[in-house]
Amino acid sequence: MLFGRKNKKPIVIPSKKVAEWKYTTCNYCSTGCSIEIGLNEDKKIVTTRGHAGADVNRGKLCIKGLLEHELFDSPGRGSEPLIRSKHYDPFEKTYWDNALDTTAQKIKAIQKKYGKDSFAIVSTGQLMTEEFYTLGKLTRGCIGTNNYDGNTTLCMASAVSGYKRSFGSDGPPGCYDDFEHTHCFMAFGSNLPEQHPIIYWRLKEALEKRKFPLIVVDPRVTMLAQFADIHLPITPGTDCVLINAMMHVIINENLQDQAYIDAHTQGFDEVRQIVKDYDPKSAQHICGIDEDTIRTVARIYAKAPAAMSIWTMGINQSTHGSDGVVNINNLNLITGNIGKPGGTSLSITGQCNAMGTREWSSCSGLPGYRYLENEADRKEIADYWGIDPEFFPKKRGLAETDIFPAIETGEIKGLWIVATNPMTSMANTARIRKALEKLDFLVVQDVYEDVETNQYSHVYFPASVWAEKEGCHTNTERRVNLIANVLPPYANSKPDLWIFNQLAKRFENGNIIKFPEKAEDVFNEMKFLSKGKERNLDISGMTYQKIIDAKGIQWPYREGDEGPDGKNLKGQARLYTDGKFPTKNGRANLLPVRFYNNNEQPCKEYPFWLNSGRVVEHFHTRTRTGKIGNCNKFSPTAYMEMNPDAAKALGVEHMTYVRLTSRRGDAVVLVQLTHRVPRNMVFVPFHYHDCVNRLTLGLLDPHSRQPAFKQCSVRIELVDQDEAARLNVERRTF
Amino acid sequence: MMNQELTNKDEILSGVQSYDPARDSINVENSTASVSQTNASKINTSKTNASKTNASKTNASKTNTSKTNTSKTKTRSNHWEIRTEEQDYAFLPDQPIKDKNRYGKPIDLIDITDITDNKKPDRSLFINGNPEIGSNPDRNKQHGFFFTADNCIGCHACESACSEKNDNPAHLSFRSVGYVEGGSYPDYKRMNISMACNHCDDPVCLKGCPTRAYTKHAEYGAVLQDPETCFGCGYCTWVCPYNAPQLDPVKGQVSKCNMCVDRLEVGLKPACVSACVGNALDFGVIENTPENREQCKTSIPGFPDPEITQPNIRFQQTKTLPIEMTRTDSMPVKYHKDAKGNYKPIIDQKQGKAKHWNFSKLNSRENPLVLFTLFAQAALGLFFITFLGALFGLESLTSFANSDMFLPFIITSLGMTTFALLMSVTHLGKPMRFYRGFNNLRYSPMAREGFGLALFSAGCGLTALFSMPGNQWLVEFLSSNLALNLVTLTEGLPLAALVTGAGVFTVIGGAGGLFYMNKCYQIKARPFWHHIQTATSFVGNSLALGAFVGGVLVISTLIYSQTSAELITQATLVFTGVFIIGMIIEALGLIKHNNDLNRSENEGGAAHYIQCTTFGKTYLFRNWLLAVNIIFAITLLGLNLAGFNDTSLLFVWLVLALINCFTSAIGRALFYILVIPTTMPGAFFWKNKAFEQHARDIGLADNPATGVAPLAH
Repeated sequence: MLFGRKNKKPIVIPSKKVAEWKYTTCNYCSTGCSIEIGLNEDKKIVTTRGHAGADVNRGKLCIKGLLEHELFDSPGRGSEPLIRSKHYDPFEKTYWDNALDTTAQKIKAIQKKYGKDSFAIVSTGQLMTEEFYTLGKLTRGCIGTNNYDGNTTLCMASAVSGYKRSFGSDGPPGCYDDFEHTHCFMAFGSNLPEQHPIIYWRLKEALEKRKFPLIVVDPRVTMLAQFADIHLPITPGTDCVLINAMMHVIINENLQDQAYIDAHTQGFDEVRQIVKDYDPKSAQHICGIDEDTIRTVARIYAKAPAAMSIWTMGINQSTHGSDGVVNINNLNLITGNIGKPGGTSLSITGQCNAMGTREWSSCSGLPGYRYLENEADRKEIADYWGIDPEFFPKKRGLAETDIFPAIETGEIKGLWIVATNPMTSMANTARIRKALEKLDFLVVQDVYEDVETNQYSHVYFPASVWAEKEGCHTNTERRVNLIANVLPPYANSKPDLWIFNQLAKRFENGNIIKFPEKAEDVFNEMKFLSKGKERNLDISGMTYQKIIDAKGIQWPYREGDEGPDGKNLKGQARLYTDGKFPTKNGRANLLPVRFYNNNEQPCKEYPFWLNSGRVVEHFHTRTRTGKIGNCNKFSPTAYMEMNPDAAKALGVEHMTYVRLTSRRGDAVVLVQLTHRVPRNMVFVPFHYHDCVNRLTLGLLDPHSRQPAFKQCSVRIELVDQDEAARLNVERRTF
Repeated sequence: MMNQELTNKDEILSGVQSYDPARDSINVENSTASVSQTNASKINTSKTNASKTNASKTNASKTNTSKTNTSKTKTRSNHWEIRTEEQDYAFLPDQPIKDKNRYGKPIDLIDITDITDNKKPDRSLFINGNPEIGSNPDRNKQHGFFFTADNCIGCHACESACSEKNDNPAHLSFRSVGYVEGGSYPDYKRMNISMACNHCDDPVCLKGCPTRAYTKHAEYGAVLQDPETCFGCGYCTWVCPYNAPQLDPVKGQVSKCNMCVDRLEVGLKPACVSACVGNALDFGVIENTPENREQCKTSIPGFPDPEITQPNIRFQQTKTLPIEMTRTDSMPVKYHKDAKGNYKPIIDQKQGKAKHWNFSKLNSRENPLVLFTLFAQAALGLFFITFLGALFGLESLTSFANSDMFLPFIITSLGMTTFALLMSVTHLGKPMRFYRGFNNLRYSPMAREGFGLALFSAGCGLTALFSMPGNQWLVEFLSSNLALNLVTLTEGLPLAALVTGAGVFTVIGGAGGLFYMNKCYQIKARPFWHHIQTATSFVGNSLALGAFVGGVLVISTLIYSQTSAELITQATLVFTGVFIIGMIIEALGLIKHNNDLNRSENEGGAAHYIQCTTFGKTYLFRNWLLAVNIIFAITLLGLNLAGFNDTSLLFVWLVLALINCFTSAIGRALFYILVIPTTMPGAFFWKNKAFEQHARDIGLADNPATGVAPLAH
């Protein structure tokens, strides 16, 4: 000891006294990090840590994962099933049997009176894949409504739609390892450091080993944009123009990979034809990126031995979402950057198991990327489940964003919402509130009983969360990973799988179809349905034990892939490596994309673009992250980023309240002045209740039905600070 | 909790109660962990072969052999369980180590450790009472953080890993990320800064802490703080330029970064570093540049002057930043690039230029300190003037000293000091631990201040005791009521000499107290206080307030006892003269403070900017009041000297003195409210004083997940 000290002070450092570590996968975003949960001798959860041996995160976790164990007993959790006859009555506690009986009766009554499709189901990207598959079985096989969709329509529908249109099937073809091989990295509307910190870290590790150009397209100077070699501050909603202009340059200068185009694609002539109209000289006036920069970027991208694109909500959440994805695929197909190390079109997915719901929930068809429109698929599934194929509809029903308008028009009378919060997450809250109020019957199944949507429910099912259950997630790079059951369900909450199984028993077909109780038995059904040489989504080689041993396996991983010694636990890192696509003739589709401008634009009355997005410490309308103090404290209340020059002109000051108004409604936010945003734009984090979505328009993408959350216009008004503060506190009480 | 100090090794060994043997078994059965160690040591050896050709060769190679031996023959110590398949990034690197840091201090701390009888490298830290010695071969080297400011993405992983490991509630954080930003769209740059404790060479926290809660260990050079010793005065949070010690208003005690010494003991980097996903935060022996990094500098924009404490942190910051970097929090400070390319703090006029009163804001949670300092200073002044005046033979004061009022005067001094000390104790987070305030007389000005005031109080008590037998009223009262004759009881004692001696002792104690009271505020991290104005204000108030109380006591006594008018005039001249001198000293200090801070661009200037805007009218009002008071007082003194000695003038004096009490109170309240420390930049919500205040005002803070603790008082 220094400074003349002789007497030791005791050094006390909190010790978690972990007796056992249990393997799980993170339940927040789609990165798919492996987590170990630490239990003490009393089997109490005391800590979480990243699994150092997992390939995805290599021991790292973001703020949410580091604190994730605190969510199990956070405030607001549902402890008992609740019931009431009108949404304005107080809830009463009830037994599970009563809650389930009532729900089944109501569903049947509504269906009997108004038709099978008058009861709708809106699911999520938060459950286990086994639960998605079971919910799909219950919906498609027992309840029989065709109006069944997930909240993935709000985040990944455009990517799904774009992949299907270009490649014939969903499924991101690349993986994180591509960062190690690429020679040019382009991010469209994706802010990795904030939205996917661990994927960013993988990128950073690759960049520290070997520098390659980083090009970022984003109207906001995000952290990634700031680190970019070239930042393209694009005009909102005009990505297709930029990409068309890039392809114009590439084709004009003959930089395309003609051999690849000839061998593996179709429709090149149409694309060549359309991009003629997108000369950088004229395109620059639409997309806001000068012609020289467009040319530079196009050349870097085309000349790179391997170039890759990633995107997230900046592309997906727009009226050109699906087209944007298709166009990114076009760019990568004409430069030969699909299915090779470092060359890919990689959508960075949102929710932890958005992929699982895309693959297995039957939301957009039938399990395992099967289509309702395909008779053979209908028959195969009906036979496997043991029911009449005629029970299935022959066409996909309404998407989530069309279900709510159908409630407005009275076509849908009853709704079951599973682990999603449309009162906060969907565009134009006022409209959603009105729709929910109109329902004859609403069931809400959620981990939290204070989830805002529960204000309008008649029955509430308290669900278990994360490691209170068991099952799989699929991440952005198609890696199936396991969540082990670590602790019993909270209070009288139940695993979603149990809830689905119990409800199934109350329907006629539910007693014909098998509904296994154990998650792995469900997984085995999925494995069976995934078999097939032509099927990329093949998980038939996996078992829970293999998944744990490998800390996640990428699909396809077929029966026998483990090799003669049984030691190969690696699935296929990339799809379409052979240039064969799951289209009719095996070729990828090059689809011409024409830009039209249907966005609400800033005007005299509403002079600001309203941009929205997530911040790192938020997730899924803050139902979980808002309860964990060490997460929530970094942005505990609603705010917006605003350009200081614009603020000066309006007399708006830093750290004061303003009222934002749009043609739909208003919101009160604190002002954070920063040059991150341009003079004609404000940015509001979108997970606050009664905030940004009171303003948004949410025009739908024609292909994916995903709303354009990020393009509408608002006005800024000064407000009485005390009144605004009071309102702000009231809206942050959960 | 072990809250008493363990005095020797044996006691520590017996205090093993919180050590958990179960941890041993985990490590032993963890076979994969030892596999990864062999991997790590393989890497180590391969690296060592390639390097080591510099001057510190002998030193380094010694370490290496020991390291290789340790990792080959011994498994890692049991202080922390290493994760299965742990990655390289989590392990401390094996690099050649320099002998001295850039300030000339040895990096190997074993030679400068003060435990003379135990300079062996193998001593246990007794973390949680665990007697095992850490297996880290570099454990006696000064370690420090390395921050690549170019890379930080502000993702909060470091902060949450830290809070998770240390079980910190939302309103506390040993590590915080804030940012500075600059440029205009789209040429905009945000630089995030992650900062915890820098385990300084010159730990001002350790030196400042009156309770000796801080220890700088030879092991890793870690500056560790024991919350169970701390009494929550918060003085360490004043002196630390980096806002490292965290005062928890709920628990009423300070805690801080412990460098994760438990992880270091097994060769792992701290939890925050291991969690970093931007590859920004790193850790190692100080002055070592991590692999893949090219700079190793001591400053980045927003970081306080490293000369204050010689912090053990090094930076890389290569990307060009805009000329001006601003803070998003409410601190009126921004950073401007000078000709040499260094960023210096300058005032950011966030509050505009308008002057306000904000009188109600003068009422703050520092009120106890306002009362403490003012009452203590007044008591000191009162005693000094009266006692020293009598000692030096001023007839009016010797006559007072011989009167029966001398005893009440001393008791008044004692009472005022006691009240002052009581106020200072209520300001503590843990008032019942007040007695620990003298534990660090060796270094802490605060301990010495308290000690001086305690001596002053004791001196007052003795003086009062010895002057009792000379107090006629008391002697008569005791003999008639309790049949106790003080005079005969104390016969033979040299009472007059004892009173004088005790009084001199009191003066010396009090002077020391006042001296260190000033020293307490001469804090480099608080330039608003680090100025002669603090001293002039303390001395000035001491004289002016002391003269007021003394004048009232002495002159009224003289008048009451019908002393000659001559002596009353003399007393009046003495007290009013000292009163005026006190005010003039304070005024001169204020003028210099204003002049200096108007030219200052640092946090002192920023505090003065707030003084001139948010409190602009109050500040001017106080200054004018003081100036007018001085003019009136001098005029009045002139009248007195000219022979106008009407007793009614005494009432005018009284009014002036009362006005001075008022101005002193305003001045002292401003002194505490305005100070702006050289803290690290905050974020928009987290570590933003304005948001914290707002959240408390409107009730957001009632939700603990907001991360703002409602104030305890």
